Amino acid sequence: MVGDRKKLMSSINKKKIRYFIPLFLASGIIIYTIFMVVPILNSMFLSFYTGEGMSTPTEFVGFRNYIRLFTQFPFKDRFINAFWNNVKFFLIVTLIQNVVGFFMAVLISRKFWGNKIFRRISFLPVTLSVLVVGFLFSLMLNPVWGIFDKILEFLRLGFLIRPWLGSTTTALPVIAIVISWQWMGEAILFYMAGIDGIDEEVLEAAKIDGAGPLAEIRYILFPSLLPVIGIVTILIFIGDFTQFDIIYAMATTRGNPTYSTDLFGSLFYRVTFQSAERGGWGMGMGAAVATIMFLIVFIGVIFWLYIFRMKGLKDKEGA
Amino acid sequence: MKKSLLWLLIVLLSVSMVATFSLAGCKEKTAEEEAVAEEEAAEAVPEGEQVTIKLTSWRTEDIERMNRINAVFMEENPDIIVDFQPIKDTEYDAQLTSSLETGVGADIIWLRSFDPGELIYNGGYISELNDVIPELADFPSAAINAWASDDGVIYGVPIAGVTHGVFYLGDIFEQYGLEEPATWAEFIDLCQTLKDNGETVFAQGTGDGWPLYEVIYSGLGANFYGGEASRQALMAGDMRLTDEPFVDAFKAVDELQQFFPSGYEAINYVAMQQMFGTRQAAMFIGGSWEIGIFRDAELDDLGWFAPPVENEGDTLQYCFHVDMGVGINKASKNYDAALRYLKWTSTPEFAQLFMENLPGFFSYTPNPTGEYILEDDVALDNLNAASGADLTVRTVWERMSRQEPSGNGMMEEALIKMYTDVLTPEEAAALVQDALNTWYEPFME
Repeated sequence: MVGDRKKLMSSINKKKIRYFIPLFLASGIIIYTIFMVVPILNSMFLSFYTGEGMSTPTEFVGFRNYIRLFTQFPFKDRFINAFWNNVKFFLIVTLIQNVVGFFMAVLISRKFWGNKIFRRISFLPVTLSVLVVGFLFSLMLNPVWGIFDKILEFLRLGFLIRPWLGSTTTALPVIAIVISWQWMGEAILFYMAGIDGIDEEVLEAAKIDGAGPLAEIRYILFPSLLPVIGIVTILIFIGDFTQFDIIYAMATTRGNPTYSTDLFGSLFYRVTFQSAERGGWGMGMGAAVATIMFLIVFIGVIFWLYIFRMKGLKDKEGA
Repeated sequence: MKKSLLWLLIVLLSVSMVATFSLAGCKEKTAEEEAVAEEEAAEAVPEGEQVTIKLTSWRTEDIERMNRINAVFMEENPDIIVDFQPIKDTEYDAQLTSSLETGVGADIIWLRSFDPGELIYNGGYISELNDVIPELADFPSAAINAWASDDGVIYGVPIAGVTHGVFYLGDIFEQYGLEEPATWAEFIDLCQTLKDNGETVFAQGTGDGWPLYEVIYSGLGANFYGGEASRQALMAGDMRLTDEPFVDAFKAVDELQQFFPSGYEAINYVAMQQMFGTRQAAMFIGGSWEIGIFRDAELDDLGWFAPPVENEGDTLQYCFHVDMGVGINKASKNYDAALRYLKWTSTPEFAQLFMENLPGFFSYTPNPTGEYILEDDVALDNLNAASGADLTVRTVWERMSRQEPSGNGMMEEALIKMYTDVLTPEEAAALVQDALNTWYEPFME
C-alpha cells in the first residue's frame, strides 16, 4: 500500500517535472519564434505579393515572383549565377578550412614550446570584424599600392601578378581564401577539441605498436574526427550560403567584377533593398529570393546531416 | 506523455506567433494614433517655442557643410532647429522608404532625380509644391522636369546639378608643355605624350561600373552620340543604342583603355580618387562633386577641361546632370516649420550658400539680383563650360532605368566587359539594347 503510494507520488512528481520542461523552454521558444520563425514566415508571405519598387507589397500575385525568378531574364540569370558562385565558394572554403584546419590542429596538438601561444594566435582572426578583414585585404591586394604584388615582385615572381579582385577568374577564389583565413581558427578549435577528446591510451598504444605520424592520422585521428569534419562542413555550408559581409567589403553588393562574386547574400541585399536603377527588384522578389535561400540552406543542412550521420553509423557498425 | 508535451510546445509556439503578429498590428495602430496625437500637439505649440525638423540625404560626407548652411537658416529662424541626419548612399533608398512607411521619416527629404524620386511621390509620402512654392515656376524646366510627375505636379525643389569632365594636375601638364585639349584627337595625342614620357595617364579603373557609365560614357561619350537630341530620340524609341552614334561613343571611350594604369581592372572608385589625390596619375575623368575632395587633398595645381568635342567647331554636348532635389514629408509633425525650410531652399540665398559650401554642386535657382559668386576657379570652369553648350543628362537615367534590367545597371556591366576585353564596343551596345528590348515599351513597338 505504502509502496503503491510512493510509486504514485513519484509518478506525479515526474509528471510535474516534465510539465515544467516546456515552461523552462518557453522563454527560448518565444524569443526564437518572434525573431526567427515569424520573420521567416512573414518573408514567405511577402514573396506571394507584388514587389514593384521600394514600397511594401500589397497585391497578391501567387507564384508570379517565383516564376519570374526561375524563367525570366535577368532574374533567372542573376539567381543561377549566384547559386553556382555560392557552390564554388563553398567548395573552396570547405577544402581549405577542412584540410588546412585539420593539419594545423594536428600540428598544434603536438607538444612543443609555444604551442599554447600558437593555439591562441590561430583564433585571433575570428575575433576581427569581417568588414575590417575585407577592407585590409582589399588594400593589400590593390594593384597600385598593395603589399601583395610588391612581395611577388621582390621574390621575382612578378609574372604571377594579376588584378586579383578585378578579374572574373581570380576574384571569387581570392575572396574565398580571405574568408577561409579568417575562420580558420574556428575549424582549428573544433579539430583541437576533437583531438583532445581522443583517449591518450589509444594514441600511446598505437605508438607502441609502431604507428608513425601518418599512420596515426590515417587510422586514429581521421576516423575519430569524422563527426567534427561533419560539423565544420555544415557550419561552413550555412555560413557561405548566407554570406554577405565579405562580398560587401571586397566586391560591393554588385558582386564585382560583373557579378562574378555575387553570392546569395549580396544578391538578396541588392535586389531587396536597393532601388531599381541600382539593381533592385522590389520587396516581393527579394522575399522570393530569401525563401529559396532558406530552402536551399534547410535542405542542404539536412543532406549533410544525413551524409555524416550515415557515415558515423557505418563506422560504428564496422567497429 | 510525449503527445501532451508536443501539444504544449505547439501551443507555446502558436501563442508566441499570434502575439508577435498582434503586436505588429498594434504597433501600426499605435503609430498612427501617435501621429494624429502629435500632429494635434504640434498645432497646439504656441508661437515662439522651438521645434526641431529633421533633414535626410544620401551624402554623409556633407554633415559639416550642411550644418554651416543650416546655421544661417537657424539664425534667421530662431524658432526652428534643423537636424541634418544623412544615411549612407547605398542604404539611403531602402532606409528612407522604411522610415516613411513606418511614420518616422525625416521632415525634409533629399530626392534623387526622375524615377527614384517619383517612386517616393507615387507612394504618397511627399507633398505637392506647385501652389505652396510659386517661385518654382521660374526655375529652368529641365531641372523641374526631374522632380515633377508626367501630369505636371512638382514634388521637389531642384537644388543642385553636377557636371562631368577631366581633372588634371597643372604641374605635370606644365612639365611637358601640354595644353587643355579641345578636340578628341588632341586629347588622345596628349594622353600619348604623357604615356611616352612614362607618366600614369589616368587614375581610372573598372572596379566599379558606375563611374564608367555616369562619368565616362555619359560625360565624354555625349559628344559622339549627339547629346540631348539623341538621348531624347533614344527615350522616344526613335533611336537604338546599337545605332551608329551611340556605338561611336562606345568606340571613342574604349580608346582610353590603353592609357589606364596597370591592374586597372581591380581599381575601384575610392582607389581612383586616392590615386589622383596623391598625384599618382596625371588625369582623372570625374564629376564636379569631386572638387571638394581634391581641394581637401591640397591639389593646388588642380585643373579641369570639358569633355573634348569630336571635331573642331562642334558644340559641346555637356552632361549637366540633375542630381539633388528636396521634398517635404506629408506626415511631418512640424509641417509648417519644414515648409518654411523648403521655401528657403528655393531662394538665391540658399543657392549661394550651397554652392559656396559644396563646390562642384551647381544651383538651378534663378537669381534676379545678379550672378552667383563662385570662389573656386575649377568650379567656375565647370559652370562656365555650360554657357554655349547643349546640356544633357546621363544617357539612360530617365525612364530607361525604371525597372530591371535597368539601363543604368546594364550600361555598367557592358562597359566593364568592354574595358576588360570581354565585349567589343558593338557587343557592349547590343547587350544594353537587348536588355532594354525586354521591357521598355518604346523599344517593343
